[in-house]
Amino acid sequence: MAFYEQHIHPKPTTFLSKYVFSYDHKVIGKQFLWYGIFFLLVGGLMALMIRWTLAYPGQAFPVIGHFLFPESGGAVPPDTYAMLFTMHGTIMIFYAITPILIGAFGNFCIPLMLGARDMAFPLLNMLSFHIAAISGLILLGSLFTPLGAAAGGWTSYPTLSTLIGSPGVGQTLWSLAIFTLGVSSTMGAVNYITTIICLRAPGMGYFDMPLTIWGLGLTAVLNAIFLPVLGAGVLLLIFDRVFGTTFFLAGAAATTGTGDPVLFQHVFWIFGHPEVYILILPAWGIVSDQLSFFARKPAFGAKATALAMTSITILSTLVYGHHMFTTQMSPLLTQTFMTLTMTISIPSAIFFANWLGTLWKGSIRFHSPMLFSMGVVFVFGLGGLTGLYLGTVTTDLYLHDTYFVVGHFHYTMAASVLLGGFAATYFWMPKMFGTIMNEFWAKVHFWITMMGLNGVFFGMMLVGYGGMHRRIYNPFIYEFTQKLIPINTFTTWSAIVMGLAQIIFVINFVHAVFFKKEKASDNPWEVGTLEWTIPSPAPHYNFKEIPVVKCGPHEFGNPNLNSNKDFQYQTEELA
Amino acid sequence: MSGTMVNQELRLDPAKAKLSSSIAMIMALISFSMLFATLMLGYFAFRFTSEVWPPLGMERITLGLPTMSTAIILISSLFYLGFESSFIQKEAKKSKLYFYSTLALGCLFMFAQTMLWSKLRSEGIFTGTSVFASMIYAFTWIHAAHVLGGIIALLFLLPTISGKRDHDKSLSLVQNVGQYWHFLGIVWLIMYFSLFVF
Amino acid sequence: MADKLTFMQMISPPEDISEHGHLIDYLFNYTTTLNIFFFLLVCIGLFGFSFLYAKKRHPKPYYTYGNKKIHILVATIIGIAVFIGIDLNITRMSNNDYIGIFVNWPDETREDVVRVQVLGQQWAWNFRQAGADRVFNTEDDIVTLNDLRVPAGKKVVFQILSKDVIHSLYFPNARRKTDAIPGRITRMWIQFNKPGNYEIACAEMCGTYHYRMAAKLTVYEEDDYNHWLAEAQEIHDAVNDPEDAAIYWGWKWATNGKTNKVGMTK
Repeated sequence: MAFYEQHIHPKPTTFLSKYVFSYDHKVIGKQFLWYGIFFLLVGGLMALMIRWTLAYPGQAFPVIGHFLFPESGGAVPPDTYAMLFTMHGTIMIFYAITPILIGAFGNFCIPLMLGARDMAFPLLNMLSFHIAAISGLILLGSLFTPLGAAAGGWTSYPTLSTLIGSPGVGQTLWSLAIFTLGVSSTMGAVNYITTIICLRAPGMGYFDMPLTIWGLGLTAVLNAIFLPVLGAGVLLLIFDRVFGTTFFLAGAAATTGTGDPVLFQHVFWIFGHPEVYILILPAWGIVSDQLSFFARKPAFGAKATALAMTSITILSTLVYGHHMFTTQMSPLLTQTFMTLTMTISIPSAIFFANWLGTLWKGSIRFHSPMLFSMGVVFVFGLGGLTGLYLGTVTTDLYLHDTYFVVGHFHYTMAASVLLGGFAATYFWMPKMFGTIMNEFWAKVHFWITMMGLNGVFFGMMLVGYGGMHRRIYNPFIYEFTQKLIPINTFTTWSAIVMGLAQIIFVINFVHAVFFKKEKASDNPWEVGTLEWTIPSPAPHYNFKEIPVVKCGPHEFGNPNLNSNKDFQYQTEELA
Repeated sequence: MSGTMVNQELRLDPAKAKLSSSIAMIMALISFSMLFATLMLGYFAFRFTSEVWPPLGMERITLGLPTMSTAIILISSLFYLGFESSFIQKEAKKSKLYFYSTLALGCLFMFAQTMLWSKLRSEGIFTGTSVFASMIYAFTWIHAAHVLGGIIALLFLLPTISGKRDHDKSLSLVQNVGQYWHFLGIVWLIMYFSLFVF
Repeated sequence: MADKLTFMQMISPPEDISEHGHLIDYLFNYTTTLNIFFFLLVCIGLFGFSFLYAKKRHPKPYYTYGNKKIHILVATIIGIAVFIGIDLNITRMSNNDYIGIFVNWPDETREDVVRVQVLGQQWAWNFRQAGADRVFNTEDDIVTLNDLRVPAGKKVVFQILSKDVIHSLYFPNARRKTDAIPGRITRMWIQFNKPGNYEIACAEMCGTYHYRMAAKLTVYEEDDYNHWLAEAQEIHDAVNDPEDAAIYWGWKWATNGKTNKVGMTK
């Protein structure tokens, strides 16, 4: 509709213009991918230290413990433990998942799948990555400040996160890093939305877009609307810390005036609940597409899936209060938030019906991206259903702030999104780097990850149901948690297995990117979306001629096909 | 700068390019308004839960300086409107006059704000005096930072004013900066009424 | 001890000692049953279809967009079945429990309840029970640190506040927790039934030693409680220094049924 043709960029020649200050959305996507993988490893290592401490408190962390914590004989000390889980949460959510799913695949896929030569605003895109890089440096830098990094949890509730609870400069740097990253993501989001509205190839209506683009687009909408809310929150937190304002100080903590610490929670969760969907929507889109691609069958009810995603996007903005049941809102608000929360299950159920409908009577190929996509369906089923306990207020009174919550949100945000990210990486590898990753090791990676991941996160839910509360350094000082020791140990070893499995991925990935000689074909998965009509890896101008779209993205097994392939490119006329 | 690069580099069809930049501007403005809306949410939360307002130990701020700021920023918005219409009609001289008046009034607004802050300090109202004082300082700071950004955006129009850039290509830039500038005026108006008047 | 337990014993929540804790347990188990049912459906679909429609068994896929009437009908029915079958159901139950019991505050003018003021601080719990004069924040109050003693069979009403950062008063044995927030009193009421020694924890991250912010909970038979109360009163009267401002951290007991914002006095 609103399409216009962009000029072809001149091919970059110097190293700097090609890899650092590149306007090319594909290069920016790869930059985000490396950035995300780096932080994923950092955050993962932190997770292992946390898990180790929970199973063996006071014992030296294997191999690198003595080097990292020499004063305590290699064991993680309590204050460092608080920093570890704070930074683990922050890094995984804002610096690993967001860059990989939204930064990397958002940048890479949106123009390619829409048939555009680049994003609508390439310079804005480049700046968005550079600002994200600065933000990452601030966050990493905060680890080396005198009193250490932020240690108030990734939610950073005041008054713990004000000067009363965390006097060091680490918490200020944390707030600054989050604010900076928010600016970067908002810039990215504005760019994505404009690109999707304006640069769709001629003939491509909104429902002809792959569902991946739907997911990424709705994520961008949520990002553009709700990141500024968090931005305002952390800005006021910075003011409280640096300029002596009293927004979040109260009680004896406030020497003068009274603010309200709960206000931050409201602001945080007005952003924070949509954030959950910001993370998961791209994964949903990717999964919806790939189930269809590998079942060789059109996506079942694609329109309904797209509309369900949209309605979840809208609902996600109305339910944030279920994070705050224990702060004792008025009963009326509590009831409202509980009921609204429950309505989210309607679109979610429609997803599952459509996902399973796609598999139904398909002809399923179990390539690695498909395995990961089906893994998402499995773990998101678990994650979504366990959310019910936390949405109903009475069970939440018991489970709030226990490991049950931790297990639940890791299933929905970490497990599903991680598996979705892996599915995307394996799938778009040929188009990104021109090689295909080793299929055997990809499958090994999948099965070990899947086992480890379920061990970790289900174990967390079990101990949570047993009453173990979260963010505690040593769970064994309570009598009621004594009997959970074996499960904690099991969880930790599952985490170690899962962590080690990622080594397979890293080796496989690095090998495919840098060392593999064998080039992938242009369309190894035999899929009809626009990015597979061009050579692998994608040339810097993407499309020599802007494609004209004639059919939807999931045109598989049409009985009227006259060619000998079972799929149809989106540029081909439907028979 | 982003505007310049984009316009030179990519667009074959200026009308469509204009559409995409205005869509982006609308999204950006939605983001900015969410930022300010969150601040206002905090304000109303405090306002409606506290029994006395302004809170203990504080009195209302005298309206002199804030009213002056309001007048300044509103007039600057009007001047910008004048600039826009004279720019479209290619009346170079008139548009220059309007543009520089807008710029001058923007700077004057910043000056008025610094006056307000030093006046508050001299009256013994500091950031930590009460949550009301915190809000006055923090909100006006954040708004002032955005006005500063607006002034910088105006400076990016200088090549357009002096005729160094193509008229048609700059049109969407002129309109986008205008939207941002009016937006800041509206935000200030809301702040003026909520923080100072009522 | 741990190795003797069966797996189910291991993962079961701590012993329920309260009058209404079983409501929460019941709702949990009810939800679990429904969840298992629906998750099994997902698994049957996922694994069953993977088996039946793998490429080698089913080389030719069925071409459909899933937009036939019957498809839409099935998807809608599943959506509505989940919503009505689980969600509305548990929402209604939870709502009844919540409104009918957990926030149905005992009428303190008629009922004889035990009143406790709780002050969280980094990293300890302070408990205050009004002494013989039944007025809070006076010199005969019984103030204990990390040691809460209450009678069985009586409703205990807590008013909770925090001195510094946000804490959360957590009774694993009663399935309840309520945040302690600086500048805002929150409330909770529980009726304990089983005498014995139990634990109280802080559930909300409150700093480095959050994990050590534990307190003892002793539930007495009513007679034992009165006995302890009298004893504690005596000791308290002897030890308390009425001149010491630090002991007056309590507040006037508000029975108006609203959570209120407070500025700390004294």
